[in-house]
Amino acid sequence: MSMLLTTSVGSLPKPDYLATARSRARKGELDPKELRRLEEQATRDWIARQEELGIDIIVDGEQYRGDMVAYFAEQLEGFQTSSLVRSYGNRYYRKPVIAKKIRRKRPMTIGWWKFAQGLTKRPVKGMLTGPYTIMDWSFNEYYPSRRATALALAEVVREEAKGLERAGAQYIQIDEPAISTRLDEIDLAIEALGIVTKGLRAKTITHICYGNFQALAPKLNRLPVDQIDLEFANRKFELLDAFKRLKLRKEIGLGVVDVHSHRIESREEVVANLKKALKVFKPEQIYVDPDCGLKTRTVDEAVGKLRVVVEATRAVREELLN
Amino acid sequence: MITTVVGNFPKVAEAGFGTKVISSISRWQRKELSDAELEGVFQGITKAVIAEHERAGIDVLTDGQIRWEDLVTPLAKKIEGFEINGLERWFDNNVYYRRPILRKAPVRRGPILVDEYRAAKACTSKPVKAVLPGPYTFVKLTEDRYYKNDSRFLRKIAELLNEEAKALEAAGAPIIQFDEPALGFGKPPIKLILEAIAIATRGVKATTALYLYFGHLNGFLEPLQKAPVDILGVDVASDPQAVGAIRKVKWTKQLALGCLDARNTKLESVTELHALFDVVAKRLPLDRVCVNPSCGLEFLPYEQAVQKLRRLVEAVQTYQGR
Ligand SMILES: [Zn+2]
Repeated sequence: MSMLLTTSVGSLPKPDYLATARSRARKGELDPKELRRLEEQATRDWIARQEELGIDIIVDGEQYRGDMVAYFAEQLEGFQTSSLVRSYGNRYYRKPVIAKKIRRKRPMTIGWWKFAQGLTKRPVKGMLTGPYTIMDWSFNEYYPSRRATALALAEVVREEAKGLERAGAQYIQIDEPAISTRLDEIDLAIEALGIVTKGLRAKTITHICYGNFQALAPKLNRLPVDQIDLEFANRKFELLDAFKRLKLRKEIGLGVVDVHSHRIESREEVVANLKKALKVFKPEQIYVDPDCGLKTRTVDEAVGKLRVVVEATRAVREELLN
Repeated sequence: MITTVVGNFPKVAEAGFGTKVISSISRWQRKELSDAELEGVFQGITKAVIAEHERAGIDVLTDGQIRWEDLVTPLAKKIEGFEINGLERWFDNNVYYRRPILRKAPVRRGPILVDEYRAAKACTSKPVKAVLPGPYTFVKLTEDRYYKNDSRFLRKIAELLNEEAKALEAAGAPIIQFDEPALGFGKPPIKLILEAIAIATRGVKATTALYLYFGHLNGFLEPLQKAPVDILGVDVASDPQAVGAIRKVKWTKQLALGCLDARNTKLESVTELHALFDVVAKRLPLDRVCVNPSCGLEFLPYEQAVQKLRRLVEAVQTYQGR
């Protein structure tokens, strides 16, 4: 019986040589072919690492992506890039601008998915950014409303999801971190996500973070996916209380390590928290992973955190089986 | 109709006054730049931003809040008792700020914004208004671990803001504006808020303004007609019901019409702005209306921020010339 499968949310840190290569490539000092070679190298290393650690469902680590919205905006027709806007503090970025009708000219993630799946027998997740989040994190000069924008994006993300499924992906994750910001638009987010997942046979997952979960919780059963992945660790597992009242009719991706702290959680604390979660969810309902993408941690910290995810989960699995 | 702005302006302009602020702040953080040198950079950009507003033909200016990371931390950093904490989302935007926490009784040791106000005022012969967070927004964006009592905390903050407002008035500010975006979210306690606004504006003889932006008006335009302020700012870009609400209310205040969406790059047409002015003109005489973007322009890249300013002026000039 499969239960308490381990996985990660998506991004993994880029090794120093790749971070340097990316910045040189941006300045035109590095041949794109050489950058591609280094991205492949880093992907290979992360897949080997995840296998060694014993992660059940692998990710490609997104070594070739920068920002989770910009990566898709750069490949879709209809998007332009703005000049700099501030994100917080002294951090600036170029925000995508929807200037024309959005079209998917070519696959955006499928080539990398095939490359990663070719390196391992374990299933590799397809990783997409959801239509509501792409809409919310872009300027829109073309579509008449936020709804029209989200629905147009849903069509192209759906094409990509279908392509991943045709290529053989058994798990497709569609991240919607923006969904929790405007709860008055939850129906739109659900409608758009429903277009993406409709008719897919692959297992569908959505990851949601940084929001007001007390308000979002009652809506979770309406999200048109098989699994909802949430951050539990950085909220000290207080979220479990919400699920004591609400019966979740979906699988749960259980974030058990905090991606914002340098400290590697102890096996004992993760085991204790998993046991708390088992009082609320059934073992076959739970997938165990870090809270969010690990890309802001160092490689060593990320490996340490993934290791404790696997070791704690194994310990709990064994107790359940004996 | 007088043209004005709500507050902030892009701090970087690749196609204008440059991006010096980014490297200057980094160097200041590494202690390679002194406080005075950084202040010199800020003042240089403030001067350039004021010149942009003058070139566009805006009547009543602000200093562009070039030194500000957000609406509350510039004050919270200077009020004893606050400590600046982790990143939180800035309302419903994909923008973040560091949340201040109150740990001890708050003490204001002296004027906070007066020096930067005076420096901005010296750059122009046009009126420069002073902008402060409203007491309710200040309280909602911070965390109170000292009073542990919402109404006492709110009243105390309103008193501190009142001291600052009087200091800014003494420095020559003809208009003192309080921003209250937090009123657009959740269930604000309107009676308590009216009391706090009365405290914040007590004894201020300058013109006072209360600006609402983001979220929904929640039926507050009616009770706010009793607030002791001269101008009420309404963002008609964020709440689709705002224009209807403006029409329903019996106006005792001047209206500041937030008529250009300062969170999207799409440029409004003169025709649609004129149609909006027509609607407003049926409700109150246009000499009691001023017009501005829906909120501060810093959500936009520099080029589009300037375009919005020019369009605002163009729409007013062609409307009055009809
Ligand atoms: Zn996340």
